[in-house]
Amino acid sequence: MHAIEVSHLTKKFGALTALNDISFSVDVGETFGFLGPNGAGKTTTIRILTGISYPTSGTASIFGHDIGRETIAARQSMGIVSETSNIYDDLTAWQNMIFSAELYHVRRDLREKKSAELLTTFGLYERRSDKAHGFSKGMKRRLTIAMGLVNSPRLLFLDEPTSGLDVQSNLIIRDVITGLIDEGVTVFLTTHNIEEANMMCDRVAIVNRGTIAAIDAPERLKKTIQSAQSIMVSFDHASAHQLDDVRHLSMVNDAVKEGDKFRLYTEDPATVIESVMEYARARDIRVISISTLGPSLEDVFIKLTGLQRSGGMIHAID
Amino acid sequence: MPSIEGNEWAGAWVGRLSHELSAAWAISRKDMITYYIKPNIIVMGILFPFFMFLAFAIGKNAPPGTLIPGLIAITLLFSASSIEPVSIPIERRVKTFDRLLSAPISLHSLVFGESLSGFLYSLGIACFPLIAGIILFAMPIENAPVLVIAMALTAFCFATLGTLFAAYPTENVGEVMSMLNTVRLPLIFISGVFIPISEIPQIGQVIALFSPLTYGNDMISYAYTGTSLFSPVWDIIALLIFILIFQFVANRLYKKFNE
Repeated sequence: MHAIEVSHLTKKFGALTALNDISFSVDVGETFGFLGPNGAGKTTTIRILTGISYPTSGTASIFGHDIGRETIAARQSMGIVSETSNIYDDLTAWQNMIFSAELYHVRRDLREKKSAELLTTFGLYERRSDKAHGFSKGMKRRLTIAMGLVNSPRLLFLDEPTSGLDVQSNLIIRDVITGLIDEGVTVFLTTHNIEEANMMCDRVAIVNRGTIAAIDAPERLKKTIQSAQSIMVSFDHASAHQLDDVRHLSMVNDAVKEGDKFRLYTEDPATVIESVMEYARARDIRVISISTLGPSLEDVFIKLTGLQRSGGMIHAID
Repeated sequence: MPSIEGNEWAGAWVGRLSHELSAAWAISRKDMITYYIKPNIIVMGILFPFFMFLAFAIGKNAPPGTLIPGLIAITLLFSASSIEPVSIPIERRVKTFDRLLSAPISLHSLVFGESLSGFLYSLGIACFPLIAGIILFAMPIENAPVLVIAMALTAFCFATLGTLFAAYPTENVGEVMSMLNTVRLPLIFISGVFIPISEIPQIGQVIALFSPLTYGNDMISYAYTGTSLFSPVWDIIALLIFILIFQFVANRLYKKFNE
């Protein structure tokens, strides 16, 4: 039995096809990343998998329970952390936790114990009697995740768990998620942070325009685009005009400035290294570091979704 | 003798029902803490019916006490139906409504839980005119049990009506309130609250039959005066039918608008 089984799922909103016949499964205990640009169909998929929305055709099941026909049984085993920190600002952190526990039928004798444990884990126990409207963005995010875990779910939907958070909140959240993965909880992760997906996920699906463009382990996906190799180089005197210079070096397909370094995309790393050294010698500047890099998951994502890099940013191309 | 399977089945259903009621009560309690003192609700649930009452009462020759049943009826109408049209659009905006929609509870329990907070709120508010009638105007209550049943059914009926209107998929409280007022305001003119149904035009008398306020007001009047247009039994049946219809339609609308 799979934790999630999706079969020929299609969702139409009038003339717009948000999901077009997608199928995939997630194994029990797997950490599964669901990546895609805005409007690709990620949120629609999550809304169907959590029983908030209904598919136009196709089926989805959670631990063998059809989400359309056995909605309540399917939801009982999930925890849902949505992209927005959807907590009740007028309730205290404690009241938020207890409310969530009541909604998920957590036994009366366990509600307080579990709530106290989670608030402690997320560094919020001391603030349990404070109303949530006074909390920082990071604290609200931590409380949202704590509420999603109050029923000890076997499957956790995490939508952008660490987006735009402070370092402390990021570390706590990542630690907790890693702990859950170690405990065998199945995680369905949606994120724009591709490196996060690369680090955490056993497999990722890349969705684009309502279809699954690729689905595999991150390392296997990277192997599919060996052409996207790159050289990372830093000079002792980095300046903005150098980006234009290195972009025009022999065999360089594209160049991006990443902090004090330049990343040069190429299909021929050896030639580019020679060109870079020659360029440095000619201008009497020193190469501080130079290394070759294989394709990243972000490269795979960009290739499969039809996005393109431009000046360090990623843009859609239609 | 019941079979073991039958007992297990019954036990599972009792457990399920207990979970659903517990979740509905949690939703209701959350609404009480969060929304009962929101300005919109105080204006629409308390001040609006009070000033509406004054507008009708001033200039009437009838002793003020005789207007108490009507005041209780419109207080129940406005206060019961004011909580969810405020809370649900706000919860849509801050995405907490998704939390309720994705919880392991049925839509019926969600609708019931939301309505329950409006119901309890309006019963509390309606106690003010009730007590004022007793203390200030020495209005005798002829049949207290009928009054309790009338107030409870009327309150729940209009709380469910408010939940039904709040199904409209907007994040704007004003939009829901505007739609709701196009229904609520005409109701007080055709339901015999201030003008007896026998004195309104024939067409109004026919329309009055389709207003739940007609039956709530009729039953409350009966509790005070011992006379009514319909019998209390018929009023109870009519209100129960309205509650079931509103609950069913609300359930369908929440499902439909989430597709």
